[in-house]
Amino acid sequence: MMRVLVADDEAPARGKLQRWLSEQGDIEVVAESEDGLSAAEAIERLKPDVVFLDIQMPGLSGLEVAAQLEQETAPLIVFVTAFDEHAIKAFELNAIDYLLKPYDKDRLLKTLSRIRARPADGSTRAAVATARAQTQSRDRLLVPVGETLQLIDSATIEWLEASDNYVHVHTSSRNYILRRTLQDLLEQLGDQQFARIHKSAAVNIASVKAFTPLFKGDYEVQLRTGKMLRLSRRYKDQLFGRMGR
Amino acid sequence: MAVAQLDLAAEKQARARRWVRRPDFVLYALWAMFWLLMLTVAIQDYLRNGGKQLWQPALWEGTSLAVATIWVVLQRRVTRQYAIYIDRPLLWIGHHVKWLPLIVVTFVATVYGIRHGVYALVGQTYRHESWSYVLFYESLKLVMFFGLWLGLIFGFDAYAKAQEQRQHLLALQKSLAEAQLAHLKAQLRPHFFFNALNTISALMHVDVPRADRLLSRLADLLRATLQWGDKEITSLREEIRMLELYAQIMQERFADRVTLAWNVDNAALAGSIPALLLQPLLENAFKHGVERSRDAVRIEIEGHREGDRLRIVVRNTGSTLARGPTEGVGLRNCRERLTVLYGDDGKLQLTQLPDGVEAAVTLPWQEHRA
Repeated sequence: MMRVLVADDEAPARGKLQRWLSEQGDIEVVAESEDGLSAAEAIERLKPDVVFLDIQMPGLSGLEVAAQLEQETAPLIVFVTAFDEHAIKAFELNAIDYLLKPYDKDRLLKTLSRIRARPADGSTRAAVATARAQTQSRDRLLVPVGETLQLIDSATIEWLEASDNYVHVHTSSRNYILRRTLQDLLEQLGDQQFARIHKSAAVNIASVKAFTPLFKGDYEVQLRTGKMLRLSRRYKDQLFGRMGR
Repeated sequence: MAVAQLDLAAEKQARARRWVRRPDFVLYALWAMFWLLMLTVAIQDYLRNGGKQLWQPALWEGTSLAVATIWVVLQRRVTRQYAIYIDRPLLWIGHHVKWLPLIVVTFVATVYGIRHGVYALVGQTYRHESWSYVLFYESLKLVMFFGLWLGLIFGFDAYAKAQEQRQHLLALQKSLAEAQLAHLKAQLRPHFFFNALNTISALMHVDVPRADRLLSRLADLLRATLQWGDKEITSLREEIRMLELYAQIMQERFADRVTLAWNVDNAALAGSIPALLLQPLLENAFKHGVERSRDAVRIEIEGHREGDRLRIVVRNTGSTLARGPTEGVGLRNCRERLTVLYGDDGKLQLTQLPDGVEAAVTLPWQEHRA
């Protein structure tokens, strides 16, 4: 059974997709979302196999939702849009599934059969990467707060700490725990603002206060908050080069 | 970007306004040349007749020059109220000619007064023909020169006015063309159109009459858009009808997320208004209010006649004014059209409300005649 999430802010548009999808024997529509944030929450909570993401939605756009997903674990994404020249060009370049409104049943069936036949190709990765490139996903990070999700400004993040399959996001006011890899998070946030300091940690370059040499070429990084972190040899040159040393 | 363009437009207008004054430089230059010529002729004439005291011709011409210049400056400064008659030359000339008797009297009295005074100061006597002959001779001369200079001044002013009108017309045509283009783009805005089509395609599986209705609305709007063409001014009634068409389509799409309240006075409906002036205001209310807000949005459209003004307000909840001076094409266009058509009497004001944004247009009241 293929578990599908439908996200569109217009009720008639959701209804049409829901109706046609439900006619399929192997598809279960697990939820419908009316806006970007609740779509992201539903993806996090229900872990659907496929999401139909309308691009223009209030709060978070469909592209912004996709940009905040972890590449490895994200569901298959089919973008739906009435008109978005820019995004459509990017989809075509990266062989990403999309539906143009209005679409007929045949067009939808074609998309479905492609999804069913799909081996684990890289299309989800491409969809997330493309969505990140199309949006300002570096500036904002979607983090869980209790039962819901919330966007935080990535400039408020001081450092990131990986442990097992989670990343602890330390900000000046509080910490958040994300079920994502540090690698994927850094890919989203970009290396302009964040730099790895060792295998399982990265800092916001703006929150670094000082370095203190340790043994064997390792350093200690002091953050503006006073927090001390270890900078391993492996990432030292890269970080110093970036900070103009 | 938008601000820079507005500045440029303002500067252009200021330059257009200054244009009215620029011929004055040319006029005064001509005036100076004219008097230099008069002085030269007078001096040569005096020398040829064996005169030895050059201050004499200088005094004669100097006094004439002084008094005549006062009258010319007065014409440039004081008679601005006659400027409105520039399109009716006879009236304009008439208003000037009525001053002629006063000019003759003051001219002769002042000029001869000064000459007699100066001669007396240097212990000489100013000799001239009999007073009746002087009055006759000076009147004749004045009428000739008055006619010459009045004609010149009229030419200058009429030319300046024509230039100004041409500039105004050009600006008007440009803004109308831009508004048409912007409107076509906005109406045929692919996003709006395809979304509306998708709503119809979704509705027809569940509610055929509703889908049919929506399709007709869309066709009406498309037709009205294509018919708009060269209609610059329309009635508020027509304008509101266009807004309703647009709103009905958007309401089908966002049924549970938007409520519309129309509060347009019957008396206001007959007022005239630039065609499609209000369209961008309502589009913004949907685009920034309804489409971006998760909560239900309320849009209020109001139209009132307030004495000699027509005031239309589009108010929506759920959005905040963009910070900074950047303004979209739609708003800029609306503002420019108001300025071109009504000058300072036409205004678009955006106000941040506690829970949304208000866009208010005020313009002079005018009954629309089809």
